[in-house]
Amino acid sequence: MKALIDWGMGYVARSGSAVCFLGEITGHIVRGRIRWPEVLKQMYEQGIQSVMIIVLTSLASGAVLALQGYTAMVRFGAKEYIAHLVGLSLVRELGPVFTALIFSGKAGARIAAELGTMSVNDQVLATRTMGVDPVEFLVVPRMAACFLVLPVLTIIGEIAGITGGYLIATLEAGIPGTFYINQTIKAIQYVDFWGGFAKVFFFAVIIGWICCYQGYSTKGGSLGVGRFTTKAVAFSYIFVILSNAVLTKIILTLWG
Amino acid sequence: MIQVQHLHKSFNGQQVLEDINLQVKKGEILIVLGESGTGKSVLLKHLIGLLKPDQGSVLIEARDITRMSERELLGLRKDIGYLFQEGALYDFMNVFENIAFPLREHTAFDWKTIREKVQSILRLIGLEGIEEKYPAELSGGMKKRVALARAIILDSRILLCDEPTSGLDPLRSRDISALIRDVARKLHCTTVVTSHDIQNSLRIADRLALLQNGRIAAVGTPSEFEASNNVFVKEFIS
Ligand SMILES: Nc1ncnc2c1ncn2[C@@H]1O[C@H](COP(=O)(O)OP(=O)(O)OP(=O)(O)O)[C@@H](O)[C@H]1O
Ligand SMILES: [Mg+2]
Repeated sequence: MKALIDWGMGYVARSGSAVCFLGEITGHIVRGRIRWPEVLKQMYEQGIQSVMIIVLTSLASGAVLALQGYTAMVRFGAKEYIAHLVGLSLVRELGPVFTALIFSGKAGARIAAELGTMSVNDQVLATRTMGVDPVEFLVVPRMAACFLVLPVLTIIGEIAGITGGYLIATLEAGIPGTFYINQTIKAIQYVDFWGGFAKVFFFAVIIGWICCYQGYSTKGGSLGVGRFTTKAVAFSYIFVILSNAVLTKIILTLWG
Repeated sequence: MIQVQHLHKSFNGQQVLEDINLQVKKGEILIVLGESGTGKSVLLKHLIGLLKPDQGSVLIEARDITRMSERELLGLRKDIGYLFQEGALYDFMNVFENIAFPLREHTAFDWKTIREKVQSILRLIGLEGIEEKYPAELSGGMKKRVALARAIILDSRILLCDEPTSGLDPLRSRDISALIRDVARKLHCTTVVTSHDIQNSLRIADRLALLQNGRIAAVGTPSEFEASNNVFVKEFIS
């Protein structure tokens, strides 16, 4: 019983300090203490690192959507609606969630491992001894880069997915290319796009926050780096998927 | 001036420092000796506010740093050079960027001046031409010296060095000890060094303090230490 209470208290304390951590980051950002050269460097690294894998997986998912859609819809003689199926599933749901998950596994893990290594090698402490705030110098740029890079990656992923659908539709289903493109443009309305895209910004904050926090609180040498990095990625996955359910409900209620 | 008064510190019930009292005068070099694991690094971290004591106070120029907020401490630390036992260089920066970091953060020097300063300090520590190397490509002793360069580049008023000579060969140890003494003398900076290196400590220190089981067992000048009757001091410096 006592162990349970201790565990609960520890959990509350950790959540509290994670919230304070986010508050500290936000404080730096609203005061304009953002080191733009560092942000650009981080954006470059996070973006370059994830873009290839996101393009490939999105291309493949779009193709699979089209294949499955084709087999199902051809039974009702509705194969010209493949463009609708692919486009809408991608921008409303799959694009943002897929991209966020892949991004956590690549860029998120990198953030946590880098910050974790710096914590256990005293580099974070050294930053403080040199009169520089480590949150401002090491954490804020990574967080800001997440927030700016993930939306761009999502758009790239969605375009790649639609391309995958296009390839299947034209090569496999025999639908004319221009028709497919016109159908896609007609299918995806303003609300569809923004209903999905709005979620990306939440995901970016969640991933950046969790991975920076886990990395920054890493203790216990190289074992600790491994443990906290795994934790960072696992938590990012869980919270992206859970928050997606909640956000989807909210967005559908507000926007239909 | 640095003053440590009745400082106590424990970690998870393990008492590490017990009632430490120390005074380091302006421009003085104090070397803290002691066996491995007696709390030298812990003591040094208290002097720059990285650790907070359980009891007692640390005064730097009459201001109690144990009561300062992190933001006030960040301001104060611009005047303090600190060498970590493991160096703690940024591994995503090369040697040049590491040494130039404090200059870029806290001075308005232009690029050319910064480059000259970094090059001259690299000459001073005997490591010319390694500006482009990353810490992972350096030996332990080289990292240590680069970290020392980073600690002294701002010409701070206070210099704290955690085992600057461990991991160096005897000749380098002597050179680096002499370098610390020269820097301290030239800038008249208050210096606290921790060390196991008895020979060089006796050579460069104004005063020595011997830490034993978390307490200060003896304090005195090198000649007082050499003439001491204290059993532990005798054993330690022989
Ligand atoms: N953050 C910490 N948490 C728990 N215990 C610690 C911590 N830092 C130091 N200690 C303990 O404090 C004691 C003193 O450590 P410290 O690093 O100061 O030794 P030291 O005198 O510098 O030794 P060395 O000469 O080997 O560097 C050790 O027993 C260590 O286990
Ligand atoms: Mg030590």
